[in-house]
Amino acid sequence: MKKDLQNIKEKVLADFATYINPMKVRTMKSAALDIVEEKRDGASVWDITGKKYIDCQTGSGIMNVGRHNREIVEALKKALDTYDIGVFLLCSKQNTDLAKKLAEITPGDLKCTMFGVGGGEANDAAIKIARGFTMKTEIIYADKAYHGHTGFALSAIGRDEYKEPFEPLIPGFKMVPFGDADAIEKVVTEDTAAVILEPIQGEGGINIPPDDYLKKVRTICDEHEVLLILDEVQTGFARTGKMFASEHWGVVPDIMTVAKSLGGGLYPISATIFTEEIMDFFIPHPFIHLSTFGGSDLGCIVGLETIKFIEKHHLADHAVEMGTRFRKGFESLLGSYPDLLLEVRQKGLMMGLQFTNQSIGPRMSKKLSERGVIAIYTGNDPSICRLMPPLIITPKEVDIVLNALEDSMKELSQESGIGKED
Amino acid sequence: MATEKEILGALADYQVQCNNNKRLRRMQRDWSRLLHFVAEDTGDVFTMNVVKGEIISNEAGAKGTPDIIVTTHSENLCDMFWGDLNPSQKYLDGEIKVKASQEDVVRLDAITMIIWPDV
Repeated sequence: MKKDLQNIKEKVLADFATYINPMKVRTMKSAALDIVEEKRDGASVWDITGKKYIDCQTGSGIMNVGRHNREIVEALKKALDTYDIGVFLLCSKQNTDLAKKLAEITPGDLKCTMFGVGGGEANDAAIKIARGFTMKTEIIYADKAYHGHTGFALSAIGRDEYKEPFEPLIPGFKMVPFGDADAIEKVVTEDTAAVILEPIQGEGGINIPPDDYLKKVRTICDEHEVLLILDEVQTGFARTGKMFASEHWGVVPDIMTVAKSLGGGLYPISATIFTEEIMDFFIPHPFIHLSTFGGSDLGCIVGLETIKFIEKHHLADHAVEMGTRFRKGFESLLGSYPDLLLEVRQKGLMMGLQFTNQSIGPRMSKKLSERGVIAIYTGNDPSICRLMPPLIITPKEVDIVLNALEDSMKELSQESGIGKED
Repeated sequence: MATEKEILGALADYQVQCNNNKRLRRMQRDWSRLLHFVAEDTGDVFTMNVVKGEIISNEAGAKGTPDIIVTTHSENLCDMFWGDLNPSQKYLDGEIKVKASQEDVVRLDAITMIIWPDV
């Protein structure tokens, strides 16, 4: 039986390499991450061969409510008895129910929503709205930023590798260092439409800015009549211990983008949320930006149930509690393995372990996978292992992850290539 | 332990394999890098110059400022250039150290995959 399952797995991987992406399969195999997902439940996922993993990758934050959340599955099943995705040109109660809920839970005067399917689309929409509303063209973004792979969003990514093969990209984008508000002030001009930032950079390496950063950026934007777009795609929906990460610093953007966990791990949906003042742009242009599948009725039902689940189970508080438990373990590892672990970056359950050199992130991913934990290094900086488990993770599961980290680091500390590079 | 002559021979074979592979050349045509290969047991260093996906030279000694430095045992270098080992596995086992961007690490592994798909 086990051999049969292994054969099925090998066939899936071979077909994936043939029909989808050969280098992805090779890379994942090298890192012992050639997992073919089968059963999913809570914080765990099972490979098709039956091996269980605690998922600390979660598609970089898609699964805040856990894998295959039963409550949301039931809501979706029930919805399927009555609804389909809806027709994007018509109005629906499912759309308005979710939009109203988003207006209720987002900070400040964010009120109006444009739905999409993914984070890149949400950021594309945000940048288009900023340009359209302000009638200005320049967009300021941060080094190591990640906003998605679509047109406008791609132009605002702070990583050349994603951009260079497709140049020339959309003009008018200016990159500044992340965390340095003065750098933004220096490049703002009369033609600047918006600043787009992640409150905490995820793909960039779990980069948490100085405490006064976002407030300073907000002030600069206000003084120069520039819109502030905050991309909460990874940080949103209680991931960092608040419903939205920007709430840690008391900053309200003009436009906020959300996606990933809004879909409850079950249905793709994103939202670009903005103020009533900005909505004025759409009054003469009601059909200027449309999305066929964005804000489908089924997606809106899932989104609303997801938010209700997060509220009902106090997942923001739980993220803080479990984050504190993780932190205690990390402190111990920092003391035990100074040649391996340099720094811990953490806000709630958005966590990054900065290792001493870039080979260690991939090697840790492999060792953790062998011990039943999925955690993958960040794209911009492989020396950082990103941990973003479902927010429903239990204390026992946190301890399993910490034990796997301890065992992996113990083993790694006895191998070559450890310590800072020259 | 592999000698300088053996490693240069392996590099020459690798150059032929890469440069004669049309698919690889097309894929790598946007890739120009200076690479240093360091044999940590013998101290020998080799320089490879890749211009638009074509290996235009391999020579003994550390020439120029490298974009990529690969350090490993001399025998691993030979095995790598002959397609007898999976460099990605050795990298993840800590036996091969690569000082380069993550994109370049993937590029190096991609070359191996194209030339020796079964490695």
